[in-house]
Amino acid sequence: MKEEKKMNLAIVTIATCLSIGAGIAIAKDAGTTPSITPKAMADALHLVMDSDRAVYTKRIVNRLVKKEKVIKASEHFEDDKALVLPAQMFRFGAEMVAKRAEEKPDVNFSYSLQSLWPINKQNAPKTDVEKEGLKFVAENKGQNYYATEELGGTEYFTAVYADTAVAPVCVSCHNDHKDTPKRDFKMGDVMGGVVIRIPISG
Amino acid sequence: MITKSTLIFICILFGSTQALSEEDTYVHFEQANLVQGRVIWIDSCEGCHAYGIAESPNPLKAKDWQDRVVKPIDILYDHAINGFFGPEDTMMPPRGGNDSLSDNEVKLAVDYMKALAEYYINKEDN
Repeated sequence: MKEEKKMNLAIVTIATCLSIGAGIAIAKDAGTTPSITPKAMADALHLVMDSDRAVYTKRIVNRLVKKEKVIKASEHFEDDKALVLPAQMFRFGAEMVAKRAEEKPDVNFSYSLQSLWPINKQNAPKTDVEKEGLKFVAENKGQNYYATEELGGTEYFTAVYADTAVAPVCVSCHNDHKDTPKRDFKMGDVMGGVVIRIPISG
Repeated sequence: MITKSTLIFICILFGSTQALSEEDTYVHFEQANLVQGRVIWIDSCEGCHAYGIAESPNPLKAKDWQDRVVKPIDILYDHAINGFFGPEDTMMPPRGGNDSLSDNEVKLAVDYMKALAEYYINKEDN
């Protein structure tokens, strides 16, 4: 009877160890085995970017600039001692991600804010997919654009999300800017797009 | 092999379907103020409100407007004319950002948006 108990205990112990071992192995694999589609990944990244930008717009700019009127937001924020515009904050984030990603070979993705009517020519689309995507989101409001493209021997999944004029200042800044190629934006118009690019092979 | 005429037919059909879709979505009402309001709303309000841009309440979604349609109309007029900050610092700009609209034109657009919201709330209830 005693022997049988010992045997049962040994079996339970071995089974428990094996289960834990298998669990650890699965958990290790989960970190390196692809389990999310490029589209879902791009959508998730955009959700984070868009939410962070919306929070900055609402909780910082709307509240401090428009509601409590304690500070201004300005394109020339350093000279004007003002807050950066939401679009500038987004762009600074993209630049920092690009810089930090250089040190992380596994984190090989990029994002940028582009427009068919850019104030700064550097923000114009360069690839055919970017051009087509920006045109699509401008003409099909409420829809995103997804495509694959090959650049420098690597295949990428590229997603384009509409960037919309959400406040009068977006409209007035773009319409009145000396370098703007378009001066008839209205509130709610698609002014450009967020381009997210994820490598899928190569 | 798709012929050129077939392609043109498809384009016309697709185009008319799109147009019909917008016509159906933004309901036509008979009252004169709502006829005028619809034109103003599509021109100055639809761009944000029909897509929930910047968390603007969408009249096509019943849940967005259930609590708003029961408010006194003067409150809705006041928020649309003078602007409004929501509890989470969302912002409705004065006149929807279109300074060329008169008070009366803003009120007509509000009338239409409220009527549209009520239409979709009733549709969901039925």
